[in-house]
Amino acid sequence: MKNKRRLFFVLLCYPIWSWTVGAQDIEAVLAKESASAPTGYVMSTFKATRISIGHAVETRKKGALEVSFMSRYWNTPQPTSNDFIADRMSARFGVDYAISDKFTVGVGAAVPSGIWDTFFKYRILQQKIDNSGSPVALTFVQTGTYRSTQLNGIERRDDFMDRTAFTTQLLIARKISSNFSLQLAPSFVYRSSVQNPANDQSQFALGFGGRYKVSNHVSVVSEYYYVPQQLSSIATFGAFSLGANWEVGNIMLQFKMTNNPFFTEDTFITQTRRNFNFRDGNFFFGFQGTYFIQL
Amino acid sequence: MKYSILLLILVATSVCLGQQSGEKLLARQGQVTFFSYTAAENIEAVNNQALSVLVLDTGEIAVDILMRAFVFKKTLMREHFNESYIESDLYPKAKFRGRIKDFDPEATEIQTRIVEGTFTLKDKTVPLSFKVSIQKLNDSILISGETQVNIDDYNIKIPKLLSPNIAKQIKISFNFQHTPYEE
Repeated sequence: MKNKRRLFFVLLCYPIWSWTVGAQDIEAVLAKESASAPTGYVMSTFKATRISIGHAVETRKKGALEVSFMSRYWNTPQPTSNDFIADRMSARFGVDYAISDKFTVGVGAAVPSGIWDTFFKYRILQQKIDNSGSPVALTFVQTGTYRSTQLNGIERRDDFMDRTAFTTQLLIARKISSNFSLQLAPSFVYRSSVQNPANDQSQFALGFGGRYKVSNHVSVVSEYYYVPQQLSSIATFGAFSLGANWEVGNIMLQFKMTNNPFFTEDTFITQTRRNFNFRDGNFFFGFQGTYFIQL
Repeated sequence: MKYSILLLILVATSVCLGQQSGEKLLARQGQVTFFSYTAAENIEAVNNQALSVLVLDTGEIAVDILMRAFVFKKTLMREHFNESYIESDLYPKAKFRGRIKDFDPEATEIQTRIVEGTFTLKDKTVPLSFKVSIQKLNDSILISGETQVNIDDYNIKIPKLLSPNIAKQIKISFNFQHTPYEE
């Protein structure tokens, strides 16, 4: 009796068992095949080509043209003023073009600082998913700038070359989770001339940047640049920024609070004259809009 | 004793049957294209790496689509698709599991059949059935067709500002060339 019941049970289970074996087979084939497919690169370590004020490891894909408008608004420390909304503003208009998936060039011009800038950016390494390759992304950035007007009185202004400065950066970033990315930016600033021999022509800096995704389209970003050997003739502080990036289709909107009105690396890294706080004169509100065009 | 022999026979036959029913065909470079047509913007993306397994005698079909393998004309869209809509870090694949009804593995003429199954995207599984056309060419079996999915079914959030640019119904067309699978 007991055996009969067991037989019945076996017979009952048999079709289910053979069916599940078949179904598992399909999943096994799919798993095996997808495991042998090459793993790709991590996408969107940062959403934009700038974290907040400085470059991010990201470059756009071939044929991408980005037109950007960067601006800062601030008040002077004077107790009374009759200016509309903000006492002062600065702006930079720029164009970035991706020659290949890894290589981007850009130019820009800023008012009222009168700084013209060019840069190129090359992706040396990309972070791979599944940790199967490089655990970090590496991007090389080289900028060259020209000061058409006197700014902080640091450089000599005798000829064209005297007014130039160059920044070299190696950006090292890792997308730690789908929401959180960090970037380190060892930077080297070289200015072609100095008025005051107490100031160095070369300065090193270390940039820290991060983003945290708060929703699918919005992330909070922050950046800080540490300069161990600062200028001697003027008091300077590390450039800081805290902001939000909001992606709306083809347009990337970046809002920030920062302590400087500059847009080029050599200037904001080494010549930020205010420390970050909310007092008039120190507080700069920044807005950047970048429009993406696929060519 | 008697029963254990019976059990052995059952296992043996099922293994044999399993091998028979296990005759599988595989498509490694299946093409899946999706379209979103709106007055504001047309979006089209192609994936040439979709995996499909077809079991010959049962007509079972299973498709895995790697989301990051979709390629867009406007390159920025690929990033947004993966990062802001599909979240492919968290949900790397879309899956279809189903069965071709009244599938005849021997027929040499083009068959038009209904496929019934489920489509899983972003961990949401929704029943999906559509028509396919099936053509046998020597050893291989071509399956192609079209279907539609409703964005609202799949936990895909579209900001109000961009909703005019993305269709509610996404048209999907596919083309799989299955060839005999050898392990």
